[in-house]
Amino acid sequence: MRLKVNGHEAEVQEGTLLLEITDPPHLCYHPHAETRGLCRLCLVEVDGRLLPACTTQAQEGMEVRTDTEDLRILRRTLLEWLALTTDLSQAPSLLELLKAHQGRPQRWGSVSLSRREREPIRDNPFFLRDYAKCVNCRRCVDACGDGIMGVYALTLEGKGLMAHPTTPLDRPLPETPCVFCGNCVQVCPTGALRPLSMEV
Amino acid sequence: MRTTCPYCGVGCQVEPEIQGGRILRVLAPDIPPNHGALCVKGRFGLDFPFSGKRLLYPMVREDRRQAFRRVSWDEALDYTASKLLAVLKRRGPEALAVFPSAKTTNEEVYLTQKLARALLFTNHVDHCSRLCHSSSTVALSRSLGGASMTNPIEDIWKTDLFLVVGSNTTETHPVIAAMIKKRVRQGAQMIVVDPRYTGMAEAATLWLRIRPGTDLFLLNAMARYILEEGLWDQGYVEERTEGFAEWQASLLPYTLEEAERITSVEKEKIALAARLYATTERAGAYWAMGVTQHTKGTATAQALVNLALLTGNVGKEGAGLNPLRGQNNVQGAGDMGALPDVLPGYLKVSDQAARKRFEALWGVELNPEPGLRMTEVFERIPEVEAIYLIGEDPVTSEPHQDHLKAKLEALPFLVVQDILENETTPFAHVVLPAASFLEKDGTFTNTDRRVQRIRKLLDPPGEARPDWWIVQELGKRLAQALGRPWTLYPGPEAIWEEVRRAIPEIMGGVTYRRLESEGVRWPCPQEDHPGEAVLFRERFNTPSGKARFFPVHFTPPAETPSEEYPFTLSTGRVLFHWHGGTLSRNSQLKEAYPELKVEVNPKDAQKLGIGDGEVIQVVSRRGRIRARAWVTDRTPEGVVYAPFHFAEAPANRLTLDALDPFSRIPEYKVAAVRLEKLD
Repeated sequence: MRLKVNGHEAEVQEGTLLLEITDPPHLCYHPHAETRGLCRLCLVEVDGRLLPACTTQAQEGMEVRTDTEDLRILRRTLLEWLALTTDLSQAPSLLELLKAHQGRPQRWGSVSLSRREREPIRDNPFFLRDYAKCVNCRRCVDACGDGIMGVYALTLEGKGLMAHPTTPLDRPLPETPCVFCGNCVQVCPTGALRPLSMEV
Repeated sequence: MRTTCPYCGVGCQVEPEIQGGRILRVLAPDIPPNHGALCVKGRFGLDFPFSGKRLLYPMVREDRRQAFRRVSWDEALDYTASKLLAVLKRRGPEALAVFPSAKTTNEEVYLTQKLARALLFTNHVDHCSRLCHSSSTVALSRSLGGASMTNPIEDIWKTDLFLVVGSNTTETHPVIAAMIKKRVRQGAQMIVVDPRYTGMAEAATLWLRIRPGTDLFLLNAMARYILEEGLWDQGYVEERTEGFAEWQASLLPYTLEEAERITSVEKEKIALAARLYATTERAGAYWAMGVTQHTKGTATAQALVNLALLTGNVGKEGAGLNPLRGQNNVQGAGDMGALPDVLPGYLKVSDQAARKRFEALWGVELNPEPGLRMTEVFERIPEVEAIYLIGEDPVTSEPHQDHLKAKLEALPFLVVQDILENETTPFAHVVLPAASFLEKDGTFTNTDRRVQRIRKLLDPPGEARPDWWIVQELGKRLAQALGRPWTLYPGPEAIWEEVRRAIPEIMGGVTYRRLESEGVRWPCPQEDHPGEAVLFRERFNTPSGKARFFPVHFTPPAETPSEEYPFTLSTGRVLFHWHGGTLSRNSQLKEAYPELKVEVNPKDAQKLGIGDGEVIQVVSRRGRIRARAWVTDRTPEGVVYAPFHFAEAPANRLTLDALDPFSRIPEYKVAAVRLEKLD
């Protein structure tokens, strides 16, 4: 099928995700975690509507724009919001994106509710859960659950800005069905989950 | 840099990041077979090469009463060669045995069995598969003419029904288990046959909780029911198999009623399982030690083979017969000829044409008599006077430990070549320190026949050397003394080139260059061949091209519960550890599972007044061990489950050395025990 991307004709196979053709910035999408459409960073303009590229399949005759001024402003705001509320010190690719979008988080002042104050949780011999660095992308939850393992030791708790992944009822990991495969650690894009062996 | 995980047979691709003499983290690349997924062992258990228990220099002692003496490599190798030559001269090749390791590379196994056969003229060559899938190997070889998974791992995504028998897959092959469970979430069905409520049982759509050691009866009853109901694949059976009539007649006693009595599974469930397996278009059988480690292990594996043939499930996508292999390179060890009856490529030692091929290649005459199997070699001590043992800890892994220790005490000469001290090292005369998987190049072949690279990321510690180097140097000395040819190779790739020349029909197309990007599956005869995914699509690898049914009959276990020993002990593995524990217990994993826990059913615990976490003794006719009781209904009433990884509380002190008559595998899964409170 044929569609237009940023004014250029493109020919793709049916079922192809817009993300695979256009490669906009993205955060929550991971091919094996099956998480889709949460972070909104990969929003693109399709026939005048904003749609997440990671959940939208290419269709005949679509006109897709990935780099309009509006999209840049939107992405910049989203990235600033993440930087404002979350410790991105171990997420170099997000920091680079922020820079590329001329993000200035401080222009929003400070927020009263921040995840930055969360203490790292050290409850098992293998890895750390440092949710001050978590952007709620859900990759870990989905890698643990339907995406890869089918173990369901992680879930999302809390509401709004205070929502974050953790274990059901916030139990220590060894008291959950966790099998310590570390697939959550591998898919975590911000270093919120990281092996203890990386701590000096 | 990318390499292959050294634990189970899944062969996950890993990228360990090493800094300052330790592993920082382990990531997995998005390529087959694991596509980025790992289990706890691959993710967090790869640090054993940094253990303080590494063997760092060669050691020798003339007598077990002496302490080991540190010596140079030259002295250790000269001494080993002279001792082996002396035994060869005095007692002949029958008094020597060589055990290559399924943990070492294909190149190393190939070279080791070549040393045994071409220089020492002995076929007493075997490896740990004797203790794990030898039963499957016998059944698959005689029926289909090939001993491996018939289908690739990625066929899981095309399978609509899984028949999982005696495999605790979520703990022993976790990455494959995750794939199967995901496929079940997508709508496939899964029948699990297991006495224990394993992770697989939990994910099953139909769980058959059989009495331990009765799988064979169940499988035969399923076959009989499928025949009675006319659910079998008549066209397939006529066209592609032989021996059907005789086998069909043998099923007479296996009625559903009788099966219910023997297995304790309701007959309706057995019938349902049979119906599902026979009528689902793509039904794949997966199994492991619960099938094989019995005195009727071969017969049970055969019953599965028969069932798959009856329903036309061999030779097509998404189906097949799939034994899950336990060690990183156990498939490769068999492929490379680490077996007493076959040369590399499963060519029979007793076949003159096969011998001729290797005699021409190696420039020597070969012994035409198949050798002894590992379990038999230990029995034959002290007529067997010298054993060259690589990467294996029989004191932990062989059954009836006290008996084996007495045998090893009586062995005049033992060479142990390993990376870490283990329970067998104290019985050695010579200790040769080997390089770990992080410290050498080579290839492993995983459970679905995929040949994959391992890569040198580090230098070996101390004076440790790669196994191929040690074997080659020892071979050089033996060859010199015997006046036989022995090629010296600059490295693993050159050895692999000899393997390609030796068995071009399966390995001819597998080159190191091709393996650079990802593994290649055998058989792969030419470089432009993609590697065979599904075996036996057109014909079986037997002389007639047809698969053969073999009648098999149920026999009770060698030891059944009695008044004095009222429980059935079943041994096995846990997620956090691996086999004898030598690797996993010298890694970060030990923290997560530090000591033996024995599973006891709550009803039994209540009767005996045993509390959860209480330290108890498990006692068999052969010995006793101390262990913490884990009171759980994962294990059924009347059964006690003990993982065997723990040298200080070895489950194999309790097991018996009753062997399967065909595969000579010990009956690890059934022994009679009693539980004693400490006071």
